[in-house]
Amino acid sequence: MDMKSKIDALLKEAETSLAQATSRESLEAFRIRFLARKGSVATLFDEMKTIAPEERPTVGKLLNSLRAQIQSSFDGKIKQFVQDHHHDKRIDLTLPGRSRFVGTKHPITQTADEIKSIFVSMGFGVADGPEIEDDYHNFEALNFPPDHPARDSQDTFFLSKNLLLRTHTTPVQIRVMEEHQPPVRVIMPGKVYRNEAISARSYCVFHQVDGLYVDEGVTFSELKGTMISFIKRFYGSSVRYKFRPTFFPFTEPSADIYISCFLCGGKGCRLCKQNGWLEILGCGMVDPNVFRSVGYDDEKYTGFAFGLGIERIALLRYGIDDIRLFYENDIRFLNQF
Amino acid sequence: MRVLHTWLQRYVPFTVPPAALADKLSMLGVEIEDVVDLGKRFEGFIVGKVIECVPHPNADRLSVCRVDIGKEILQIVCGAPNVSVGQKVAVGRVGATVPRNQHDPNGKPFVLSQVKIRGVESFGMICSAYELDIGNDADGILLLNKSTRIGQPVSVALGQNETLYDVEITANRPDLLSHIGVAREIGLVVGKKIARPLSRPRAGKTPISRFLSVRVLDKKNCLRFSARVIRGVKVGHSPDWLQKFLRNVGLRPRNNIVDVTNFVMYELGQPLHAFDHSLLQGKKLIIQQAKAGTHFQTLDGKDHELPPEAVMVCDAERPVSIAGIMGGENSEINEKTVDIVLESAYWNARNIRKTARMLGISSDASYRFERGTDPNGTVAALNRAASLILEIAGGELLHGTIDIYPRKVLPRKIPLRITRVNHVLGTRLPSSLVKKILKGLEIQVSAGKGGTFNCTIPTFRIDIEREIDLIEEVARIYGYDSIEEKGIASINLMQSFPTGHQSDPVRTSLVGAGFHETICNPMYDLARAKIVTREHIPIKNPQNKGMEVLRASLIPGLLDCVARNSNFGNRHVRLFEIGHIFEARQPLTDRQDLQSAVEEERVGIAITGRRSPRTWAEPERPVSLFDLKGELEALCVSLGLDKSKLIYYSTTESLTEQTLAIEINGTYAGYFGKAKTSLMALFDIEQEVYVGEMLISSLILSHERKYSPLPKYPAVQRDIAFVVSETVSADDLERCIRKSGTELLKKVELFDVYEGNELSGNQKSLAFTVTLLSGEKTLTDSEIEAEVRRITLGAERSLGATLRSS
Ligand SMILES: [Zn+2]
Repeated sequence: MDMKSKIDALLKEAETSLAQATSRESLEAFRIRFLARKGSVATLFDEMKTIAPEERPTVGKLLNSLRAQIQSSFDGKIKQFVQDHHHDKRIDLTLPGRSRFVGTKHPITQTADEIKSIFVSMGFGVADGPEIEDDYHNFEALNFPPDHPARDSQDTFFLSKNLLLRTHTTPVQIRVMEEHQPPVRVIMPGKVYRNEAISARSYCVFHQVDGLYVDEGVTFSELKGTMISFIKRFYGSSVRYKFRPTFFPFTEPSADIYISCFLCGGKGCRLCKQNGWLEILGCGMVDPNVFRSVGYDDEKYTGFAFGLGIERIALLRYGIDDIRLFYENDIRFLNQF
Repeated sequence: MRVLHTWLQRYVPFTVPPAALADKLSMLGVEIEDVVDLGKRFEGFIVGKVIECVPHPNADRLSVCRVDIGKEILQIVCGAPNVSVGQKVAVGRVGATVPRNQHDPNGKPFVLSQVKIRGVESFGMICSAYELDIGNDADGILLLNKSTRIGQPVSVALGQNETLYDVEITANRPDLLSHIGVAREIGLVVGKKIARPLSRPRAGKTPISRFLSVRVLDKKNCLRFSARVIRGVKVGHSPDWLQKFLRNVGLRPRNNIVDVTNFVMYELGQPLHAFDHSLLQGKKLIIQQAKAGTHFQTLDGKDHELPPEAVMVCDAERPVSIAGIMGGENSEINEKTVDIVLESAYWNARNIRKTARMLGISSDASYRFERGTDPNGTVAALNRAASLILEIAGGELLHGTIDIYPRKVLPRKIPLRITRVNHVLGTRLPSSLVKKILKGLEIQVSAGKGGTFNCTIPTFRIDIEREIDLIEEVARIYGYDSIEEKGIASINLMQSFPTGHQSDPVRTSLVGAGFHETICNPMYDLARAKIVTREHIPIKNPQNKGMEVLRASLIPGLLDCVARNSNFGNRHVRLFEIGHIFEARQPLTDRQDLQSAVEEERVGIAITGRRSPRTWAEPERPVSLFDLKGELEALCVSLGLDKSKLIYYSTTESLTEQTLAIEINGTYAGYFGKAKTSLMALFDIEQEVYVGEMLISSLILSHERKYSPLPKYPAVQRDIAFVVSETVSADDLERCIRKSGTELLKKVELFDVYEGNELSGNQKSLAFTVTLLSGEKTLTDSEIEAEVRRITLGAERSLGATLRSS
């Protein structure tokens, strides 16, 4: 191989090698291999001795140009490397991250989800029903006779003589039983409407969860057990509770469930209106008249039902003092949950 | 309803203190809303005797008194003209709160302090009846009975050491609407029987028939009508005890006759009415339905137009009382009344309720009658009232009682199976215990066949009609706390109910994409209804003007939320709501059923302001329609829908401009666009908002997911930039590319749009990434080139597209 070919080959080799050298170490290795006193370029200069004297000026010129070229490429690379490296150090890692919007589930949904998940784990399914109901499903089938004073407790929005906005999620119980034979074990969350004056304590729209379990041999004792395990899972196992007899047209016997006030521990405070207890749930054994209206055998089957207001639970739980905040959807409020 | 502690003690002896009693009653299902110590407002007031009274040295109208209050003697400056030595007076001590200030226009209470009045120290106050809030006499101090003991609390001296219970009565227990009724429950608590105030008033010899005859024409609604007549009464003020009783239960004393009827209603639960006999034409009463449209003046002075359902008690010529609801002005007891007719009746509860509602009257009487009174209690109440009237107002009770009671209501007989009690409650109560509980409720129990009790229910317990009602009684008296709890097995019942809502994944996806979930009122005003051009469902009895119809779109609610947040400085928001919308197929009439109303679950979305929060790393960019489109597409993809199955087409909607409708798998799924600028004023919004609304049902089609094997060979991507006429849409070109490619072409994605100087005026460039993949082998360069050529050729032929030279 003549000298010119060797020079061309070395240049090509150096270029490839330099291109691959990206670290401080590999750049140093490159310098030693090509540009050091015993490097490849120096070795070629040494070979000058072996060629004919008349060729030496030309080859010398080529060799000098080779050395200059490699040196300049190397210098350029070093300069770039130092610059890059220097630049790394100047990144201010304290700059904030590129943010994005963070969404939230409405606190009412969050509360409902939590209630749902507890009952689902106890073997309850989930069912839905319409918000526009007829008188039959909202009242009559639930053992509210026409012109009965029990209807007074449910200030109703009417759409026509027969149609209304459901005043509770209980009509879904009727719809579920109309469609399914026992056993039935289901919860029914949803929106309900009451024509009540709007204030910090009450709003004309709110949310309830109804529950229903019907089978052969379902007892009041099981109703108590189910409600207690819900209460303990939702409020913690140290919560105290009491079942108080009450009246609902669609259950008998019926009970209101109270828990010890979690703010004052039962000593009495503003939250519990000084009596130490908070009413959180209504429940009872399904009234035989309800079974009759859906065609269930009321001798063969027994069942229990319960209902709770989600707003009330959320208000108590988060210490919110105005129910209207739930429907204003101010993101300063929503972001707190 | 209010009942009084000391009065309850007259019917059943008990010593349980008020708070404990309230608690025990509550656990029996008799909810005590409030316990009020009526004596408490007289704390700090004691009976004193004026032992010295001299004129004030520096004021003509004032006296300086020394008052003996037992343990000490107080010096008090008094301004009353009637003060003198030897009087027993009510003294308010320093620190006591005077219930009413007679120098304050609103009579606001004030706290007594030690003061110097014109140079003389005063250590309290001698009070007037007005100041103690027991009367309206403010002209002088209240003078107590001479025999009143010095040092006694004024509450005791005034008989105000009383506790009031406010009882919340559930709709099924009208028997509790009286002192006797509540006493009966207390009897259950303390294990004692109640003593009814028995009264057999002495009657004269004149038979009642000479003064009164009664005819019942409306037998359907007047189920029993009892009456007695008393002649020669002296109408006047009631004695103190009666006035005090009425005031304490919240009624205003009127005259001794009316006061007695009210007292008996609160004592026994039976409403009574008294007529002035001389004002009854023809000495007769006729019970019949009202003539529609007749006007009638009730004794509260109000005029009512009578509905035909109203049952009226009439004399020979005119109505004198709306049966069971309120008497008439034309026959009421007045100071000249001498002879009276006492009415005690039993009415059809449904009719009373209906009539009272129509007339907008709720009286103490209608409240009881519409819930149900004891049909067999009319005469006892009549006699109780008669004997009290004779005692208080004198007169002669005529011989005999008119009692029209064609179909006597007999006590119900209900069989109760002990096994059923334990089956429903999950208990093992012995029959002896069940029997004891029932007997405590005045239910007669006799043993029937096979572990059954035959129970006879007293007629005041109108709520006990069935076996389950008896089981309820057993449970509440036994005590819910005593029933052991048992868990239910959380087994799978093989039921066909899902464990979540179909909208749950939609919500989760949007929250993950940075949206806030909102919940808006599903009712809005007519202005909003007008811009959502649908057949809205109006609410017949709206709560207020802002809630006259049910929403037919979620978008107005979201725009209101945008406005509200913007007003509070949050102008960059992403919101959604999942909820129902409502629409009428045609305007609703009273005859229609549920089918005439459409109810549909939707998700509504609104975005406005910046695309992302302000950051140092990127220039600020406002949201555009394509951000919303991208969010909706991402939502669909996250729900497992194939993006290529989404079909868009331009449409018009009343709330949006630049509107696109979306079809998923050939079904209409919703629309989105820019909220119309012209509507922004209604919502008070000044920025651009992009909104959309999708049907939940269309998003959650079939959620079955299937695995398809991963390709064995790598996919190849090629970028192709076309130049087309500006009239060619991205969608046109994309479809054309798909059509031109073979089965190797798997994906076509637009990544760049360019319109500018490098192109001629009516041209644009659209650049796509195409993904090529073969199931059989790794594609060679020439195969790839061939496919790209097919695509470019196709685009060239169908749309005149040319490749953009780089
Ligand atoms: Zn508390």
